Amino acid sequence: MRTSNGKTAFCFPGQLQERPRLEDHPRLAEDPHFKKCLEKASYETKFDLLNFSLKGDEKETGFNLKLQILTYLLSMVHFYRMRAAGWTPDIFAEHSMGIYAALAAAEAITFEEGLFITESIGRLLEREGTFHRGAMASIIGLPLEEVQKICRDLDGYQLSIANYNGSMQYVLSGEEEGIKKAISLALSRKAVSARQLSFQTALHSPSLYSLREEITNVLKDVKVQPPKFPIINHWTITPLKREEIKDFLSQEIGRPVYWVRCVERLLQEGVTQIVEIGHEATLTKLIRWMNRDVETFSAGDGL
Amino acid sequence: MAQSNDHLIEKLKHLIIQRLRLADMTPEMIETDAPLFGEGLGLDSIDALELVLGLEKEFGVIIPDAEVGKKVFQSVRTMAQYVFEQQKTA
Repeated sequence: MRTSNGKTAFCFPGQLQERPRLEDHPRLAEDPHFKKCLEKASYETKFDLLNFSLKGDEKETGFNLKLQILTYLLSMVHFYRMRAAGWTPDIFAEHSMGIYAALAAAEAITFEEGLFITESIGRLLEREGTFHRGAMASIIGLPLEEVQKICRDLDGYQLSIANYNGSMQYVLSGEEEGIKKAISLALSRKAVSARQLSFQTALHSPSLYSLREEITNVLKDVKVQPPKFPIINHWTITPLKREEIKDFLSQEIGRPVYWVRCVERLLQEGVTQIVEIGHEATLTKLIRWMNRDVETFSAGDGL
Repeated sequence: MAQSNDHLIEKLKHLIIQRLRLADMTPEMIETDAPLFGEGLGLDSIDALELVLGLEKEFGVIIPDAEVGKKVFQSVRTMAQYVFEQQKTA
């Protein structure tokens, strides 16, 4: 399936912002991989994920947790689909909680372990959101210095940059009141867009670093194998080693995502084709912003 | 004037396809009055940034802030009206 002489990267996106509206994707709903994964995950988690895919409402209890599980499932479904269609990746990259699917796809953990980790960490985040309500905002169209200045100007709300998604594309994390103020400030300072995301925790901010021990505990019985495909660690820009994986997982929700570095590394590695292994085209658009020559598309296109 | 407006609308549709790499689309498939965001063409804020940059590069037209952007990016026709007005006053 390779259409160029360069390498092919598979990229695993973070959490969906909205339910995937299965009713609008009949081909996906009929896909045998989707049916199998959905049944398995609904059985394991006790959530009616089919019903959630069709009728999930953001006001319902556990919305973000179910969305995170569905994000994991959809990445796995698209990975199995692409592999069944003959695609062989050379390298993986992942964004935020896309790491769980990336690890399962690379067979460093099993599908079930990936599901268990996604659900367990999702529950910790849900609890954290109940006791220490946080928020996140996407700020588009301001340079890094301006976004950093917004954080400084709102000192006291514990705002930090959670995602470095490309020049002029950042995500902020912090206390909800501070995030709302940051959105107003960003718009008054000529951002193209500034909007609150659906999260109720300040993901990828130092405030979540306190969950490290509990996450380590979640992972204690997980048997990590060497990844069959190299997965770029976006902090060190080197492939994650087997012995680093648990530590990476326990830290990553308390540290920023350096997506820009990841993409730069992929391009340095000679990647000329990038497939987003997910339902939407979020990473595809971020990559397009960084490099217009690399061939990029989402595995979910047209489904 | 109608002809030049049609020409501008056609150029803007090409700009949208080229900037957003909508490889499967042709200008004829983009309705001039359909919403660009949400239910219409389904664009999002990352696409908006691409279009802001595209308008600046191709037409020398600046979108100063999100408020103006919201009005301009309602449809291809509102984009054309904005480009036309900005070029007239330049």
